[in-house]
Amino acid sequence: MGRKMKIKIGELESSFGRLKNLEISIGRVVEEWEEPEGPTPFPSVADLRDWDLKLLNRYKPMYMPFCDLCCLCTFGKCDLSRDKRGACGLDMAAQQSRFVLIACCIGAATHTGHARELVEFLIEKYGRDAPLDLGMEVHIEAPVTRLVTGIKPTTLGDLEDALDYVETQIVHMLAATHTGQEGNNIDFESKVFHVGMLDHVAMEVADIAQTALLGFPKADPEAPLADLGLGVIDISKPVILCIGHNIAPGTGIVDYIEKSGLSGLVEVCGLCCTAHELTRYSRMAKIIGPISWQLRFIRTGVPDVIVIDEQCIRTDISIEAKRIGAVVIATSEKNFQGFPDKTDDDPDKIVEELITGKIPGAFIRDFDKVGEVAVKAALKLAPMRTKFKALPSMDDVVKYANMCRKCKECERACPNNLPISEALAEAAKGKFEKLAHLYDYCIACTRCEKACPVGIPIFSLIAKASERIMKEEKFRIRVGRGPIQDTEIREVGRPIVLGEIPGIIAFVGCANYAEGGLELVKMCEEFLKRRYIVVASGCAAMTIGMYKNEEGKTLYELYPGNFDAGCLVNVGSCVANAHISGAAIKIASIFAKRRLRANYKEIADYILNRVGAVGIAWGAMSQKAASIASGFWRLGVPVIVGPHGAKYRRMLLGRRDREEDWYVYDARTGKRVYVGPVPEHLFYAAETMEEALVMAAKLCMRANDTTKGRAIKLTHYIDLHKKFFGKMPDDIHLFVRREADIPITMKDEILRVLKEKGWKEMEIPDPTLLEEMVRKRA
Amino acid sequence: MMRVDSWQKAEIPGPIKAFPISDSKKLALLIKRAKKTLIVVGYRSLKLAQDKIDMTSYVIDLASKLNAHIAVTNTLIKEFSKKGYENTYLIPAMELADRLRDPEWKGFDGKGNYDMVVFIGFPYYYEWLILNGLKHFAYKHLKTVSLDPYYQPNATFSLPNLSLEKWIEFLKSLKDNL
Repeated sequence: MGRKMKIKIGELESSFGRLKNLEISIGRVVEEWEEPEGPTPFPSVADLRDWDLKLLNRYKPMYMPFCDLCCLCTFGKCDLSRDKRGACGLDMAAQQSRFVLIACCIGAATHTGHARELVEFLIEKYGRDAPLDLGMEVHIEAPVTRLVTGIKPTTLGDLEDALDYVETQIVHMLAATHTGQEGNNIDFESKVFHVGMLDHVAMEVADIAQTALLGFPKADPEAPLADLGLGVIDISKPVILCIGHNIAPGTGIVDYIEKSGLSGLVEVCGLCCTAHELTRYSRMAKIIGPISWQLRFIRTGVPDVIVIDEQCIRTDISIEAKRIGAVVIATSEKNFQGFPDKTDDDPDKIVEELITGKIPGAFIRDFDKVGEVAVKAALKLAPMRTKFKALPSMDDVVKYANMCRKCKECERACPNNLPISEALAEAAKGKFEKLAHLYDYCIACTRCEKACPVGIPIFSLIAKASERIMKEEKFRIRVGRGPIQDTEIREVGRPIVLGEIPGIIAFVGCANYAEGGLELVKMCEEFLKRRYIVVASGCAAMTIGMYKNEEGKTLYELYPGNFDAGCLVNVGSCVANAHISGAAIKIASIFAKRRLRANYKEIADYILNRVGAVGIAWGAMSQKAASIASGFWRLGVPVIVGPHGAKYRRMLLGRRDREEDWYVYDARTGKRVYVGPVPEHLFYAAETMEEALVMAAKLCMRANDTTKGRAIKLTHYIDLHKKFFGKMPDDIHLFVRREADIPITMKDEILRVLKEKGWKEMEIPDPTLLEEMVRKRA
Repeated sequence: MMRVDSWQKAEIPGPIKAFPISDSKKLALLIKRAKKTLIVVGYRSLKLAQDKIDMTSYVIDLASKLNAHIAVTNTLIKEFSKKGYENTYLIPAMELADRLRDPEWKGFDGKGNYDMVVFIGFPYYYEWLILNGLKHFAYKHLKTVSLDPYYQPNATFSLPNLSLEKWIEFLKSLKDNL
């Protein structure tokens, strides 16, 4: 691979003076790799722009502005409504796409910052030459990085080259959002794709570094099961809660517990992706739940010490912790919380200051010290908090409910418009069922509390009414396994590309659900039963584990963890999303033997036309989710979001009624061939779970499907459509290319429809959008 | 004009905001002026109505009086299919919004786009966004109405925020006035 050479001199005495801590970096020394370099190593946005424009010509942006103004410079505020342009000349479409780009830059920068910190932490611990060993079955260790940059990282130090590139590119893309830079909405969208691609490199760097060095499961389909839920914590023990995404401070806590012989005496649990990482690192750790479980757990008063790292942490965490008498330790420079820097202080002194309330919390940058302080503080604090009751009593619930004026300000603040007033009216009469019912639909944002003019702690009342439900939250989740094995890809490559496995469905993203998390579980189960390959990551992976069947088993206990039909793979945290895009890339590389190194367009073209993969980010909330999705789009993988995802303000939609949009080249002849709307959309916000299920099945169809594969995919699409909408879809004629595509069991019915629509047989080409892939001109 | 705020208070609209209409006769006149009307039905319409009104029959009655097409975006299509109104179509809301913004779209009957689109029964924020897309990118060829019991500032015409009882009363009166 390309390698930077660094010479470090600790101390040197010479005739011209004394040198200390000198570090000399000598460019990049190119190390040969058996695969020849492709056309786009370390690409700038211009290098891949032609590919982006092909996608954006088919999947045109549809803007739904979230704000009609621009207030980013002192010319403004500018009214951009309808056909107006702002003082800088920008119009509404460009402003919306500019905002999508800003969001994606935030998301990608967040993963990149996370990756950089992790790599630095691991280099300090294990050295720059520590090997990136991901296990016997993973030879293509970094498919995204190889594809994008053209380097083949073999050591931790190699990952720095990839990060250098990503950081530089993100800066350029963010710069494009400044006033008076990019002015064209389509070029903003191309930059969005670029940032998404960079994000996947950063995520891959983060996850392969931690997987290789921290003893995480390495592509293990039989990764262990871990405890999940509010009810799994032994509240008789001191409890340390970690929130965020970065495992580094978590390692300090676990290591200190083990070193001090305290295993089994202290509970270590996590919320959001840090929880995934903790369970990948240690069997002692437990997962409380996804991001929206933060206040659910904290308001119970159970945690003694809260250790925060980075991303998606409630920014009022110190206020919430103070309410329950817990102490907070901040560990990331991205989130000081206003705490004093105690990195260089004596651990016992820090503990004392925290417990006596002399300091509101501590910022500690040394992760070993974080471990010691957190454990010692928890051990001291727990006995002092045993009688502490955080939630109100039932009498208090009634008292508070009687204060309600029925002004409905709470409902007007609730993102899901939940019927809070009605539930409070019932609670005022001592009936708590309606209040408890809200628990399943509430995302615990507490906007209701802030809106209440008489100060009713509404969320705490919901939590109290649901206390029994919370205590019964005891589930099992398969620990994040990391990458997909090369051997698994060899097994499933052919049936995926030929369409015989109906698709890969990836449930990813956050927990901002419009109708509760159960919908996600139902969708997951539906695709598992239909023998799709189902992959999960992040908060979505946790939600999938938070429901049991009648026998008390979660989907993780019912379905194997292989990357295969009818299996459920938890890859891990947000950064493990790179293994999902990585799997699609590896199908092109391992199964189809397409050149991987710096060969982005060809591989993306392959995935778009051949790999039936769809992402469902049902509760997508964050800017990171936006950049993750955009990385999938550039690779030709469609993403469906839930109704709140419409707030990303831009969809990428195809038009099945425009025949001219659906032509490809036949790579064998160069002839332009109509292939139908496959896949029909790239980014799509579904209104309901049922719509998402049907759409996902449809979006798995690809131009290259064999007739057998297309028949299988059509069977699922039609069957789901009939199940939820009670009738045949009206676009079947666009997906049947030949009679052999028709599922046998539906033949008569479909032939009738085809006759009505005046259907004619279509060619099945060797599809590509890239003219340069044509082997012979017609 | 009466002062009306968005139902979800943080969904600050503007500068162009819907005309709030609390007089069903006036709204009936405005809708009747259209040449080609589409009524779009979201999955929340049943939930909103809370059994106080048979929503599918109501929408079909409105459509019959207006000679309008009905677009159903969700599983309610099963109920509509049972009732057999001829011009009822199933289409996801995002796809419909995408078609509506295109002045060249031919509509469900192949004869041209609509000039009046009436929305009912969507999650507030979801409808808010769809309406805003149409407000900016389809304003030259269509007008929109929100029939939900919440003020939707991005529609051309919207009801104000109403209690369930007042809303049901309004809907019935609107039908009578068409």
